[in-house]
Amino acid sequence: MAPRLAPAVWRLPLRNATASSSPAAAALILQTQFHTSAPQNVKQGWSTLPPRAKPNRFNQVTSGLPAPTAGPAAALARKAQSTPVRAGVLAIKKGMTAFMGLTGTRIPCTVLQLDRVQTVLNKTRKDHGYWAVQVGFGERDPKNIGAPMLGYYEAKGIAPKEQLAEFRVRDEKGLLPVGVQLMPDWFYIGQRVDVRSNSRGMGFAGGMKRHGFSGQEASHGNSRNHRTIGTTGGSQGSGGRVHPGKKMPGRMGNQRVTVQNLPILMIDNELGIVVVKGAVAGPKGCVVKIQDACKKPPPPEEFIEKTMRALRERFPDAEEHLQQARERHLELKKARREKRIEEMLTAGWEPTKEQAEMMERAIAEDGHESLGEEQASL
Amino acid sequence: MNVAPLARRPLVCLKSAVRQARQQKIFSRSMATEVQATSKPPSRSPDRNFYRVVDKKTKTTRSAFAIYPPTSAGLPLIPPTTTNPVAALHDFQIKKLDPTGARTALFARTREAAKVGDILLVTHRRGGEPFAGVCLSIRRAGIDTAVLLRNHIGKVGVEMWFKIYNRNVAGIEIVKRRLKRARRARLTYMRKPKHDMGSVAEYVSAWRKSRRVFQTKGAKGKTGATTAGGKGGKGGKKK
Repeated sequence: MAPRLAPAVWRLPLRNATASSSPAAAALILQTQFHTSAPQNVKQGWSTLPPRAKPNRFNQVTSGLPAPTAGPAAALARKAQSTPVRAGVLAIKKGMTAFMGLTGTRIPCTVLQLDRVQTVLNKTRKDHGYWAVQVGFGERDPKNIGAPMLGYYEAKGIAPKEQLAEFRVRDEKGLLPVGVQLMPDWFYIGQRVDVRSNSRGMGFAGGMKRHGFSGQEASHGNSRNHRTIGTTGGSQGSGGRVHPGKKMPGRMGNQRVTVQNLPILMIDNELGIVVVKGAVAGPKGCVVKIQDACKKPPPPEEFIEKTMRALRERFPDAEEHLQQARERHLELKKARREKRIEEMLTAGWEPTKEQAEMMERAIAEDGHESLGEEQASL
Repeated sequence: MNVAPLARRPLVCLKSAVRQARQQKIFSRSMATEVQATSKPPSRSPDRNFYRVVDKKTKTTRSAFAIYPPTSAGLPLIPPTTTNPVAALHDFQIKKLDPTGARTALFARTREAAKVGDILLVTHRRGGEPFAGVCLSIRRAGIDTAVLLRNHIGKVGVEMWFKIYNRNVAGIEIVKRRLKRARRARLTYMRKPKHDMGSVAEYVSAWRKSRRVFQTKGAKGKTGATTAGGKGGKGGKKK
């Protein structure tokens, strides 16, 4: 079947073909006409339908339509209520102990320790599709890290971290300067937090342990079926198959467990601890994520402002530091690409033209004073 | 080692240069010394450590990455002062709840301390009869340290756990020491009829009587204070 073309397209080659009166020539002309004529696509030439208006123009909230209930923006809006305002921290579960209350009550609690917790990355709606803060914990030997991650830490200007984790935040107000250290005073005593960790792995467990089945009788003719799960479903009447989701023996534990709304009993910057009331999933030494409780109102505005102000005051150069690290990273990356990193390391770092000029200018301006400062710092 | 001739380092006036120099001070292992030893015009060595990815076969550097010192936006990261914060927390709390250290001493691992098999008397702050019983086990867990006492009340065996640092425990006293050191840490066998001690009421009454004798002879206030304040052990030692 021949392609359906607009009549104007047919007319041209046919008219020319009559003049030359040769089928080969006509085909050639047809080809050239196609290439040289006006652009032909869905909007022009291919359809006899009238040109449509832009579909997006009237499909907008501004033209009175309701906002779409599906899609990325709608998903973020839907989750905003249950997303904490601030980022959380990573910690290690150090064990359980108790506080003795004034009235003789015993309050069991869990000790979580923060070790060199640092912000590593801000994730934004524009670049990543959602707002989040990536946080690092501890310290790791560079020899235990692959090259991609080494480059990542190089670009951030921070030492390699033992653990990395991400904390979703509601909007850009929750983002933090990169590279700053978060201490236990990120939280306050009495605050409610959600604590997430992986539970202790139990291995392959039977129905009694895994789902609390009753097991079977010890006697009354029972033979070697004391802890088995029994039946897994009806016969033909109910389909004669095992229904999806049937509780059965299998791997138990080592799942992420969130314990919600734990009150904080104590914080100590020196020991680096956050003590929460009650139990937290997982063995001692497991990594836990602590964040503001999502089912409670966020911390008071004044507290949030206070912590943010403290961060800015403690780390005034955070942005500048990050920028320097980034620039240096690009330089090194280029050197790695061009296979001259080895020379660079042996030869040392040469200042670029701009840097040299800047330095000379700076020397000319206040060389003597700064020299003194440098000596003092050394 | 970083004190290089200033002529070689004409860039020092920059703020960043100063900061990097400080970093160098923190991180002594840098390329600085090596490079500056070989005379090089105004070039500077990489101011921080590098991690080299070395080819195993050829032993050449395939790549290298800058490794920053553990700093937070230029300032050194503050690690926690201890890796065992639970113990530190226990010390802190015990100091608060037992300022004289009497209770800690009573259940310490010393010769004079209370042991399993001793008959102990615990006075409760919330009123009620003081509970006496033979100590079956001592569970040492810092602030959570507890003792298990067993007695017979109305011919029925009764066991009670007491947290020794609990504020409701007004005092703990040794009524009678076991003649020979028990050879078990937990005397669970004493629950069996063969070994069961039965009621310790007579030991307690005898101990009370002896204390009353002491009280009449003198040192009234001292013994009285021992009972109430729960200094533990001192007044209660048998004869």
